[in-house]
Amino acid sequence: MQNTTRQASRKRFLIGGIIAVFAMLAGTWSALQLRDRAGHVDELAATRFPVARDISAFELVDHHGKAFTNASLQGSWSFLFFGYTHCPDVCPTTLSVLNSVAQQLGNDASNVRFVFITVDPERDTPEHLARFVSYFNSDFIGVTGNPEAIEVLTKQLGVLAMRVASGDNPGSYLMDHTAGVFLVDPDGKYHAVFMPPLTAEMIVANFGKIREDYR
Amino acid sequence: MKLTAAMLCGCLFMVIAGSTLAAPTMDVIDGWVREAPPTSRVLAAYMRIINLTEGDLTVTGITSPDFEAADLHRTVVEDGVARMLPVPELTIPAGGSITLEPGGLHLMLFDPVRPLQQGDSVTLVLHRSDDICITLSVPVLRGTGAEHVHHQH
Repeated sequence: MQNTTRQASRKRFLIGGIIAVFAMLAGTWSALQLRDRAGHVDELAATRFPVARDISAFELVDHHGKAFTNASLQGSWSFLFFGYTHCPDVCPTTLSVLNSVAQQLGNDASNVRFVFITVDPERDTPEHLARFVSYFNSDFIGVTGNPEAIEVLTKQLGVLAMRVASGDNPGSYLMDHTAGVFLVDPDGKYHAVFMPPLTAEMIVANFGKIREDYR
Repeated sequence: MKLTAAMLCGCLFMVIAGSTLAAPTMDVIDGWVREAPPTSRVLAAYMRIINLTEGDLTVTGITSPDFEAADLHRTVVEDGVARMLPVPELTIPAGGSITLEPGGLHLMLFDPVRPLQQGDSVTLVLHRSDDICITLSVPVLRGTGAEHVHHQH
């Protein structure tokens, strides 16, 4: 009788042990899964949206004077940066960084477009933009339009731009503006945003991961 | 505005690396002006200013014979929005240094008097509150700045 009890309790112990081992394995497995997922998110310096966002219709003009609309964002990845050509520090720095991104992407860059959209259409005509963007990279696209048309796009992306007086000359104003780089996917949807401080290495590494996950 | 820096500057001149005054009070290293697209009327200059004295030194103004006007500015990014704030004066602490770099403190240079490109150099004059002027010649360089730092010691 005593023997049977001992055997039964040993059996229960064994079963309990097996369950415990399974639970531990399951726990470890899900922890690894979680860490993998969390690690994946942590590694991105970009803010990526769980679901890419639609961009509603906008009508602008590129530095060749051709229409630049939603359709222009289709078919390949687009990096969008909003600034103005009279900007001495942030805009040239960011465009130089984006040029480094293009260099580092090498052949991959042929499937990527880089778009500089002015928040200062009053001074930034297509001709002026042409000379400005091509200085940094001959493949870069400069975009302008009337203020309302630009706002259609900036509002959707949460881009802010404000004119600030500088000195006595009314023509020498500065612009405060959002300095992020916005990533639009080949479906023409707002996919992710990179906020400053920006480095080419960070953008290239993050973009590689984002593109891999998109496939 | 065709005044030369010398005319604007009613103070003692000190030329970096060629000073005839006894002990140098300030050193400026890693100075450069970013080459800008040909249409640009505004350029930026960056550098590291080192205070070699045991007292604070204050830069109160910038002039340049190569530009119509020059200002000290700071780019600040708040909630992703970049703003440029005028910096009326810049104090370099005793024995310390201050770095002007892309995305931060910079000299804003308006209307170059001649086209500038990589390989050129420009003259900048830092005016101090102690009536000393620091005149320096810095190269015009292309790029983000990351590639220039620590190359010009």
